[in-house]
Amino acid sequence: MRASSGREAARGDLLLFAGCLALALLALMFPRAWTSAFSSGLRHTILRPIVMLQSRAAEDRTSRFRLGGIERTRDSLALVVMDGAATRRENDNLRALLALRGRLARPHRAANVLHRPIGTDNRMLLIDIGREDGVSEFDPVVSGDGLLGSIWSVEAHSSSVLTWLHPDFRASAVTADGSILGTLILAPSSAGFATHSVLELSGVPLHDSLRLGTIVYTSGIGTVYPRGIPVGRIVGIGKETQGWERVYRVAPFANPGDATSVMVLTAPHDSAFLPIPTKRDSVQ
Amino acid sequence: MTGPRFVDRRRRIRSASERGEGVRVAVVLVILLLLEFYLRPSLTDWRGMPDFLVLALLLLAIRQRPGSAAVTGFFIGLLVDVLSPARFGAGILAHVLVGWGAAWGRGIFFADNLIVNVALFFVGTWVRDVMVQILSGTSLRGLWIEAIWWAPLQGVTTAAVGVVIVLLFREWLAIRIER
Repeated sequence: MRASSGREAARGDLLLFAGCLALALLALMFPRAWTSAFSSGLRHTILRPIVMLQSRAAEDRTSRFRLGGIERTRDSLALVVMDGAATRRENDNLRALLALRGRLARPHRAANVLHRPIGTDNRMLLIDIGREDGVSEFDPVVSGDGLLGSIWSVEAHSSSVLTWLHPDFRASAVTADGSILGTLILAPSSAGFATHSVLELSGVPLHDSLRLGTIVYTSGIGTVYPRGIPVGRIVGIGKETQGWERVYRVAPFANPGDATSVMVLTAPHDSAFLPIPTKRDSVQ
Repeated sequence: MTGPRFVDRRRRIRSASERGEGVRVAVVLVILLLLEFYLRPSLTDWRGMPDFLVLALLLLAIRQRPGSAAVTGFFIGLLVDVLSPARFGAGILAHVLVGWGAAWGRGIFFADNLIVNVALFFVGTWVRDVMVQILSGTSLRGLWIEAIWWAPLQGVTTAAVGVVIVLLFREWLAIRIER
């Protein structure tokens, strides 16, 4: 009698294990859009207290350990802003004389990167601001060092960020003088796995070449990243099998693994310039 | 002394005792959740910090049958995957396997010995970390670094905290430790 009940319990265990295993495998195979919507729903409802707790923990850590660093950064920035004021005025005057468009300001929202319970390789980050803070999908996300990625999905009070470490990351890039354009993607390796922390700048014409150390910026082409966000520095030449373009390896400035505070650029996406002034405006 | 009233009284006492034990285990779980989601991120995001979620899973798994431990692993893995937007399902699969393995292994290896518990916490954390990296499609270099540096480091810190938790709450968790 006891042996038979033991066998039944063991069979029950096996069934439960197989059921959990099957559900886990199904979860792995579901399209990302479904799992993202499901996760967003849970974060916004049942897990909202935990997200709030993590957000509070990030704020406490900043105030406890990083306040000195933030104050130093603020002071340095204040000096830069003071130095740049005269140049900006001069630039505005010259633009007015030549009837050029003025630059748009970039509205942004500051956010904390929330703690990740497991150490995956930072391809996606969770931040503590969302739709109610004015964030929307595909908003660019930057840190003090440069481009991190863009908003992948957004909930009311939190958002997921797709960083440049993700295989789906794409950005149009340009050199500082605007002469050479290309597309940035995560550098693939021969084994099919992504290599660590390097991007590839592809699509550079064969008749153009870049020197090592050249800094690349977002070009503003497309609808996600505005022009002029620093991305990284050319550190080498990549493999190009077709023979019709040059490929360069780019070491990004911003490391998603170190990011604790980020900025979400809420607008504009496709241009850094105001509309061309009308003739009447330019006469004035 | 063996009448129906006595049997009924014994059943009530046992049921109250089980309820009390459930409450005590729930209190330990809440403490571990607070440590994971408030204390750990408010101190540092260093990868070597102890993982209180996998510790909670292992502490529950050694009290449960393998099937129930797999279900516990499923829910803890779901929590991890929802809060770590990397590869959905990787955390669930890893936690189900670790939970089931811990409960199944208890019947074979586990004496009520502190060293065995330490080994369980270390191996459980290491296996979970490496499995999540593999299922997330991490680079080979990242996987190698995880397997020989971060996962063992986190295993050691998790095991250290696990020993403290076991020693502090062994009555509440109904864990017997041989002296």
